[in-house]
Amino acid sequence: MKPTPPARRSRLVAVILSTIIPGLGQGWLGEWPRALGVFLATVTALGATLWYGKPGWLVIPAALWVWNVFDCLRLPRGAPLWLATLLWLGMAYGIGWQATEINPRAFIENSERARSVFRPMLEPDFFRLRTEVRQGWVEVEVPCSSAPPRAEHTVEAVTVRVSPDCASLNEALIVTVEGLWPNEPTQVFWSTPIGDIKLVGGQYNAMLLVTSDEAGKITALVRVPPSAQDAMPDPTLPLKHRVYVEQERKIGGIEISRNGGYILQGIYETLALALLTTTLGAVLALPLSFPAARNLMSGHAVTFFIYLVIRTILNILRSIEALIMAIIFVVIVGLGPFAGMLALTVHTVAALAKLYSEVVEGIDPGPIEAVRATGATWLQVVRFAVIPQIVPLFTALTIYRWDINVRMSTIIGFVGGGGIGYFLWQWLVLNDYRAVSSCFIAIAVVVLTLDTFSARVRERLG
Amino acid sequence: MKPRTPPPLWRATKWIVLLVLLAAAYSLSWRVTQPDFLKLIVAAPKAKQIIGDFLHPDIIEREAEISLIEIPFPIPCGSTEVEAAPAPVRLRVEPACAEPRGIFRVSGSDLGPGSTVVMRWLLPSGGTLPIEQYPVDEEGAFSAEIQARPIAATKDGVPARLQAEVSVPLTRIHVSQAMRDVLNAIMVTIFMALLSTTLGTLIAAPLSFLAARNITRTSRLGSVVYYLVRSLLNITRSFEPLVIATIFALIVGYGTPFAGVLGLVITTAASLGKMFSEAVESIDPGPIEAITASGARRSQVVMYGVVPQIIPDFLSYIIYHWDINVRLSTIIGFVGGGGIGYYLSQRFNSFEYHKASTAILAIIVVVWALDFLSAQVRKRMA
Amino acid sequence: MLPLSSHPAHPPGECPLLQVQNLTKVYPSGTVALKDVSFDVDDREFLVVIGLSGSGKSTLLRCINRLIEPTSGRVLWDGQDITAAAPAELRSIRRQIGMVFQQFNLVRRSSVLTNVLSGRLGYANPWLSLIGLWPPTERERAMRALERVGIADKVNERADALSGGQQQRVGVARALMQEPRLLLADEPIASLDPVLAHSILQYLEQLNKKDGITVICSLHFLDLVHRYATRVIGLKDGIKVFEGLPQEIDRKRFKEVYGEEAQEVRAASLEAA
Repeated sequence: MKPTPPARRSRLVAVILSTIIPGLGQGWLGEWPRALGVFLATVTALGATLWYGKPGWLVIPAALWVWNVFDCLRLPRGAPLWLATLLWLGMAYGIGWQATEINPRAFIENSERARSVFRPMLEPDFFRLRTEVRQGWVEVEVPCSSAPPRAEHTVEAVTVRVSPDCASLNEALIVTVEGLWPNEPTQVFWSTPIGDIKLVGGQYNAMLLVTSDEAGKITALVRVPPSAQDAMPDPTLPLKHRVYVEQERKIGGIEISRNGGYILQGIYETLALALLTTTLGAVLALPLSFPAARNLMSGHAVTFFIYLVIRTILNILRSIEALIMAIIFVVIVGLGPFAGMLALTVHTVAALAKLYSEVVEGIDPGPIEAVRATGATWLQVVRFAVIPQIVPLFTALTIYRWDINVRMSTIIGFVGGGGIGYFLWQWLVLNDYRAVSSCFIAIAVVVLTLDTFSARVRERLG
Repeated sequence: MKPRTPPPLWRATKWIVLLVLLAAAYSLSWRVTQPDFLKLIVAAPKAKQIIGDFLHPDIIEREAEISLIEIPFPIPCGSTEVEAAPAPVRLRVEPACAEPRGIFRVSGSDLGPGSTVVMRWLLPSGGTLPIEQYPVDEEGAFSAEIQARPIAATKDGVPARLQAEVSVPLTRIHVSQAMRDVLNAIMVTIFMALLSTTLGTLIAAPLSFLAARNITRTSRLGSVVYYLVRSLLNITRSFEPLVIATIFALIVGYGTPFAGVLGLVITTAASLGKMFSEAVESIDPGPIEAITASGARRSQVVMYGVVPQIIPDFLSYIIYHWDINVRLSTIIGFVGGGGIGYYLSQRFNSFEYHKASTAILAIIVVVWALDFLSAQVRKRMA
Repeated sequence: MLPLSSHPAHPPGECPLLQVQNLTKVYPSGTVALKDVSFDVDDREFLVVIGLSGSGKSTLLRCINRLIEPTSGRVLWDGQDITAAAPAELRSIRRQIGMVFQQFNLVRRSSVLTNVLSGRLGYANPWLSLIGLWPPTERERAMRALERVGIADKVNERADALSGGQQQRVGVARALMQEPRLLLADEPIASLDPVLAHSILQYLEQLNKKDGITVICSLHFLDLVHRYATRVIGLKDGIKVFEGLPQEIDRKRFKEVYGEEAQEVRAASLEAA
């Protein structure tokens, strides 16, 4: 007896099958692609809903299940596909929206924080006005010992005097300074024996500013900060604290600020990383690309096995982001550009070897045949038929990879791999958003410039 | 006219200058990167240990029966009264108290063979201070010397307590907690990729028309808009999504997937916007002319003359970017963007390489599976 | 359609279908594509525009339905000034003027049916058409149009799956959907084989003779001009250099339109004929 053709099979059995396993009935009626689609849609919806664990969402897989039975009943026309699509997308985006904690209100709720981040970013810290500094200090004993030394000290022209020579917490001191620049604001602040800077203006929360007189003298009343002895093991032990005075004035012109210097160093490291990793990666990828080319390796079982092994390793390495590799290398060789270089090189080798091997696979056999037909040796065939075909493409791919590596090396520092990302991360941790902002500008300038440059080069090659 | 060939001397000089520049670039790069390949050899034992950890991902675990034993331990001696331990305690401490930095011995018996003991201090302040993990020998006994840390000193008459967590392995096996956490994070990661691709596309589509020469640059105002949008897209594209995500992590919260989604949405919008605009620029103006000539409205011209021409390109770009976003969302958590990357960086920070290995395995599997899926879809479309 | 009251000189029935008056087009680059071109077109004419490529034929046809904005001059449709028409008016005039293009201008990735239906957009409900909903009557009209050009069996294929001749027939069918009174054909056969060229022009002739649709067609080949045209206009460098009946084109006239070098070629082609 011949089996019934799928189209004539019983509708009832199909509906029962679909009720048990979504899509099974459709398959039994011969509509296998539809069956697979229905099955996958229902199962993924059910899986995602169960994972998310909010029972309300179970409505959607249930509705899909009902739709599937209805679909089976109405075959070959089936139930409307848009309904199932809508249900599935509603599930995916609904759960996705909640699972990724998307909350646009966070911008309003945290607008204060956002402002505190963005406002400093409007003044990028790269250049500063050139200034010169005049500084003086004097040591004061807190609390008083039996015979406190005289509180007077001269640094270059600046003489600082404090009377009395010692004090306890909250006690008043008179600070007189001579030899400052005249008519300039002068900062006065306190430094504890361990180097903690304490402010003495306002309620010990602002910098004390005094303007010097015509003769370059100031007199100020300073109270010993109540927190001056915090973390001292023995508060009764007299220790030498310092009172600092400092003037700063512009001398015209601008210079690169300290953070600006770090940014230049970071950019330099970034470019160096990109150059070295691309070169090293290309050099290592070159010999790997031939055994990873299917057309060269499929002739023999052993070579094919080698091809499979190399391809698999390359694929695994490519699916691990360079940043993850960088973390591993940081653990092994320590923080610094070297870890980043190793990670980027490994990733570059994996990516380039695959791209190169695809070029090798795409070689036109025509020229090889033609050169061979002239009686050329194997080396001549390679020189005149193979290399001319692959060199331009290899070069283009390498430049393309260099582009990617420049971008990657801007972020490899986030995990300690060196480059500008390392400084950026530090500044983010230290909340120095002015430096962060100039970092952003530096990255944009460098990446845009190199993008344009490599586009030009590739154009000329193409 | 034949192109003039430059004299050979000039060409040679050009090459020499180029080579010198290149050599300089390499030597400078070498100096700043400080490659120290010796380090790779020196660090081999460490690497071996880490790779060993990586080869044993934490996927399943044997169920264990965990029991906690606590003993008050005064430092220094006599700082507080301690009542005698109840009789059946299987843990002994000799001496029963110690001076700061003094050494004492902890031993246990009848703990069950094959089990492990994790010792820790429960500080008077409520904190815990891990000591070490000790294996139990075949007789079910263990013994270890421990130093009395000054931080565990008695405070206000309350002594620190020594806690021993004894876990006796059972024969049943189940999916480990780490595996469950990883699955959870992976699901979030996939949803992050899905939502960022979708939202990015929704932003990119209208922008791409503004950034398309043939649509926008018809008037002077249009030219201004075109250059503005183009530059905006190019500048945004020059930042890696990780860089952008750092800022959002500051604003919407460190470690939330939302921060990662925002970072990805911005870069997806910028890079899809550019790709889309190129697709729009390459459309054939003929059909638009023909449909305009038939008396159609502008909206109808766009729907019938423009949209059918760009849909296939748009779709293939979206799938391409979906692939990229899957990869990126696995690492965006490193900077506080949530998902599997956040989990991974946390495990690295606490040196739990077995668990990190689970996460990396999961990343490989997911990236592969989704690559395969999108390759299938692309094949279908072509 | 009634002419506008501002043109009392042309009462209904007497005014030509289309009047082109002093039409000039200067491109932003400075190229003068049309210079002071004037002519009238009567109902049911088959007017052929000849000239070298770059002589301004395409610009002239596109200025008529304002796909290109003329720099100066007027185009009157049934007495109504197209050049001054507001957008809504312009659309309603455009839907009476069908157009066929040298490069067919089909949406290559859409189906033949969608391409043909898009000719009807000027009549369709703007909202329903945006989401691709068409009443059955319009679908039937599209099928009839395709039957007339003989490719009804290709209705569900993608436009780029068709050969060049078939694509141009879809173009003609799309123009038919507009139920036009005037058909502008911009080098409709320049991208086709000679054999196909005749078949397309025969469709246009049929539309002209049977349906009474006025045709303005730009052409390259002089022998085809003799075969199909009822009247001829010659353009050279944007200037009208000839207007008359096809049989009036002699050697001298020809030289005026096509220039000195073309003479020998034409002579050869005449001998061959």
